[in-house]
Amino acid sequence: MSMANNPGCLRRGAGCLLGGALLLLAAVNVRGAETRLFSFTTSKGLAVKVLQDNDLPFVHAELLVYLDGNTQNYPSLAITQLALLDMFAPALNSPPSNLMGMLQRQGGDFAVEQNPEFVRIRLNFLPDRLGAFSRLLREIFTYQSFHLGKFNLSKEKFWTLYKRGRDWRKEIAVMLAYQQLTGNFFFTRGFMLREVVNGINMAQLRSFMLRTFRPDNALLVIKGRLNPYLVLGMIEKDLPPPGPRQAQPRREPVQVNPGRKVFILNVDTSDPPMVYWFDVAPPAAADAFLPYAIGNFSLFGFPGGRIYHSQRNRFAMEGYKVDTEAIRLKDFTLFCNSVRLNYGDIEDFLLLVEQERRKFAVRPVERKEYLDALNYYVGHALVATGRPDSDLQPVIDGFHGQVAHQETPRIGPELFQEVSHGQVLQAIDEQMGAKHRNNGRERGIVVLVGDADQILNSLKSLKTEALELSLD
Amino acid sequence: MIKTRLFLLLFLASLITLSAQTPAVSTFELPNGLKVILAPSSGVQAAAVCVYHMRGARQEPADARGIAYLYQYLMFDGNQNLEPFDHVLFINKMGGVVSGRVNYDNAVFYDLLPAQEINVALWLESERLKSLRLNDANIDAQKNQVISRIGRFLESNPAYRAQTWVSAKVFEGSAYEVPLYGDLNRLRVLSNDRVRDYYQHFQNLGNVLLIISGRFDISELRAGINRFFQDIPPGRRAAAPAFSAQNPRRAHVVKNWLLPGLKKHFVVYGIKAPARIGYNFVYFDFLRTYLTDPRLSRLETILNAVNKLDVEIESFFSDYMEANCLLIQVSSPRRFNLEKAKYIIDKEFQALASNPIGNNDMKAVRSLMELDFLKGMTSLEDRCLRIGEFYHMFNDLNFFDDQLKRLRRIVPYDVMESAKKYLAKPNQVILNVYGE
Repeated sequence: MSMANNPGCLRRGAGCLLGGALLLLAAVNVRGAETRLFSFTTSKGLAVKVLQDNDLPFVHAELLVYLDGNTQNYPSLAITQLALLDMFAPALNSPPSNLMGMLQRQGGDFAVEQNPEFVRIRLNFLPDRLGAFSRLLREIFTYQSFHLGKFNLSKEKFWTLYKRGRDWRKEIAVMLAYQQLTGNFFFTRGFMLREVVNGINMAQLRSFMLRTFRPDNALLVIKGRLNPYLVLGMIEKDLPPPGPRQAQPRREPVQVNPGRKVFILNVDTSDPPMVYWFDVAPPAAADAFLPYAIGNFSLFGFPGGRIYHSQRNRFAMEGYKVDTEAIRLKDFTLFCNSVRLNYGDIEDFLLLVEQERRKFAVRPVERKEYLDALNYYVGHALVATGRPDSDLQPVIDGFHGQVAHQETPRIGPELFQEVSHGQVLQAIDEQMGAKHRNNGRERGIVVLVGDADQILNSLKSLKTEALELSLD
Repeated sequence: MIKTRLFLLLFLASLITLSAQTPAVSTFELPNGLKVILAPSSGVQAAAVCVYHMRGARQEPADARGIAYLYQYLMFDGNQNLEPFDHVLFINKMGGVVSGRVNYDNAVFYDLLPAQEINVALWLESERLKSLRLNDANIDAQKNQVISRIGRFLESNPAYRAQTWVSAKVFEGSAYEVPLYGDLNRLRVLSNDRVRDYYQHFQNLGNVLLIISGRFDISELRAGINRFFQDIPPGRRAAAPAFSAQNPRRAHVVKNWLLPGLKKHFVVYGIKAPARIGYNFVYFDFLRTYLTDPRLSRLETILNAVNKLDVEIESFFSDYMEANCLLIQVSSPRRFNLEKAKYIIDKEFQALASNPIGNNDMKAVRSLMELDFLKGMTSLEDRCLRIGEFYHMFNDLNFFDDQLKRLRRIVPYDVMESAKKYLAKPNQVILNVYGE
C-alpha cells in the first residue's frame, strides 16, 4: 500500500516533519553564540538598535535622551535635575505617578544618570514584560504629570534628594570639568545655589519635557532574546507622534578649552580625599580615540603605567590604584583618572603626573608600554563580555559618530587589535607631547574632593579656585 | 492523536530552550580530594576561577577569633614563588579582576580573566594553596593594619559601632555573635603560630571546591587543573557541614545611647531572620526586598514619599547559612521625625503581619527577585559563588530551575506568615542613638 493511500501514514509523516521543524526552530532559537544588531528608525523618529542575544535570560534596555543646549547654564541644569527627580525619585512618589507604577511593575530595576550631554535610563526586565515596556516608553515621552506638592518638596530637599544613592561628588566633578572645558561660562561660587533652584517654576519643567523628551531626540538600545521586528512593531504602535518642534536654542559648536585649572570641592567627609584628573580626548567613534586610550594607560594604568612604576611605594599604590573612566560624549571624550590619596600626598602626586606627561615629549610611549596597554585593553574587553551591557557602548558610540550600520557589532577586542604603535605615538604627541606644549598652556582639569582646609594646607605651589557648594 | 504528539514535541522543544539557558554543570574529583565544578557559559569570552573554602570564621577556636579575617589579606600577601600583590598584578595586567572575602560560613577567592588565560589563574590559585607566605613580618603587618583600620573605624563611625552592637545582640549565643575581626585586644597578642596553624583550613583540599565558569575547553581545562593541583597534598575531608537553622530570638531588647557631638539621631533595628538553609528563607527574602531594597523600598515610600519625613534609610543583610540578621538604620537630624518614623515602621510591621500584600506589589517584588537571580546567574563570578553556596548547603548543583520555581510560587499568605513570625516585637533588637 502506498503512503498516499494511507491517511494515517500521511498524518504520521506530517507530524514527524512538523516535529522536526519545531526542534530545528528550537535549536536555531538557542544557537545564540553571536549577538546580531538590527537598526531602525520609527516613523516617530526614535532611533532603535536591537541587539539580539539568545543567551541573555532577561532584557536590558537603555534609553538616551539628548540634552543639547540644555546644560549650558545654572537654571537649565537645575531644570533637568528637578524634572528627573520628579519622574524617577522614589522618595517623591506621593501621590503615586503612573510612570513610577509602570517602572515598578516592570521589576523596578532601573537607574537614571545624567552626563552633560544626555540622560541615560537603564532598565532590566523579564522578557514577558516586553509589551508593557513599549507602553512605558510612551509614558516617558508624554510625561507631564508634574504635581505642585512634589515640585515644591523637590526644590526644598534638592540636595538631599540629589545626593541619595549616587556618586554625586564624582558627578559634580564631571560637571565642573565639562563646563570648564567647553568654556560656556566661568564658574563662580553659585553652582546650583538655592536661589537658582528656587527660581525654577513648573512651566519651565513642562517646556523642558516638550522640548527634550521626544522620540526624535532619543536613542533606544535594547538587548535580549528578542525578535527585532516584533520589538519595532510594539514600539511603533505605542509611541506618541512627536509634537511640533519648539525652537531649540542653537547648539553652538563646542570649543574645547583644555587649559589647566585646579578646583577644590569642599565636602564634609572623614574619608581621604579624591583626586580627579580630567583630560580631553577625541570622540569615541574617531580613529584617534583608541590610540589615545592606550597612551593614557601608559601614563596612569595600573599596573603598567609610568606613574605606578615610578612611585608605587611612595603612594602605596598597590592599595590605591588609579581608576580610569572614559566619559563618551558626542563631540569629545572626557578621560577621568581618579585616585584616593592621603592629604599630604596630593601635591606630590599632581606634580608627578605633570612631570611624567612632560616626559612624553622626550621619551614617547615605548613599544613595550604600547604592548602592555594593548594587552590590558584587549583582556579587559574580553572580560567585559561577561556583562550584558558590554556591547551596548560601541553601538551608542557608532550612533554618535554616525558610523554605517553593521549587523554584527564589532566589540572591544577586535577594535583594539587594529591600533598601531605609530597611531598611539601620534595621538599622545597631539594631546600631551611637544606639539601641544609649543602652543602654550598645560592641559587637564583637576578636581580635588575633600576637606578644603586640609587640602589647601597641603598645597604649596599649586594655585586653586575654591568652590563652595550649598549642600543643605 | 496528532494533537498529543504536537504537544509532546512542543514540550520537548521548550525543554531544549530551557536547558540551553542553563548549560549543564559537571563535576569531578582529583585523587587528592579536590572537588572541581565546571559551569560553562556560552556567548562569553571570559572565565571565572573561584576557590571556595567550605570553612570560615565559625571554625575558629573561641580564644582566637579573627584569624580567618586575617587570611582575607594574607591570601594576597605572597607565597613561595610570588611577592605580595603579584597575584593581583598578574590578573590586572591582562585586564582581569581579583577579589576575595572571608565570612563566617565560607571563604571565597576568585579571578575573572580572559578565557584563553585561564591557566594563569589556575597556577596563581594553586600557589596560594601550596605555600602561602606566613612569616612573622607579614602576619604582624596584617594584624597591625586590621587593628588600626577597624579601630579607627569603630572610633570615628558611631553608626558602625551601633550596628556591630545590635548584630551581636541578635546573634547572641550563636557562632555569628563575635565580629569577623574578633576582639582587637586579643588579636594584638595572638601568637603568629596560631595564625600559621589555621592555614590547614585553607590548605585542606577536602574542604575546598574549585569552581570554574565561563568559556573553556573541558579537556584542556582538565589537563590544566591536573597540572597545577595534583601535587598538592591531599586533605582530610571534614564531616559534612552540620548546618542547623536557628530559631528567632524571643527577647525584645531596646537600648538608648547618648553620644555627644552626633549630627544626626538614628535608630538601628536588628531583626533576626531565617537561615539560608531554612525552607522559609525565600519568604523572608521577599519581605526584605519589599521593605528595604532601594529600587522598591516600601519604607522609603511610607516614610519619605507619603509622610515626608525626610529620613535616611539604610539596610544591611547578613546572608549567613544558619541564622540571619536584617539591620535597618533610620536617621534624621530632627528627633521628632525619627520618633514618627519609628511609630510608622511599627505600624507597617503590624500591617504586614495581619494583611496580605497587594497583587501589584507581589508582582513587582517577584519580578525584581527573579531578575536579580537571573542577573546573578549571568555574571560569571556570582554564578560560581551561588554554585558553591548551594553545593555547600544542600549538596545540590541543579538548583537553577528549582529556585526559579520557588520564587514564582510565592503567594501573599507566605509573606504574611513570614512577617508574623519575624517582624514581631519579641524578635527585634532596637538601639536608639541620640545626640546630646
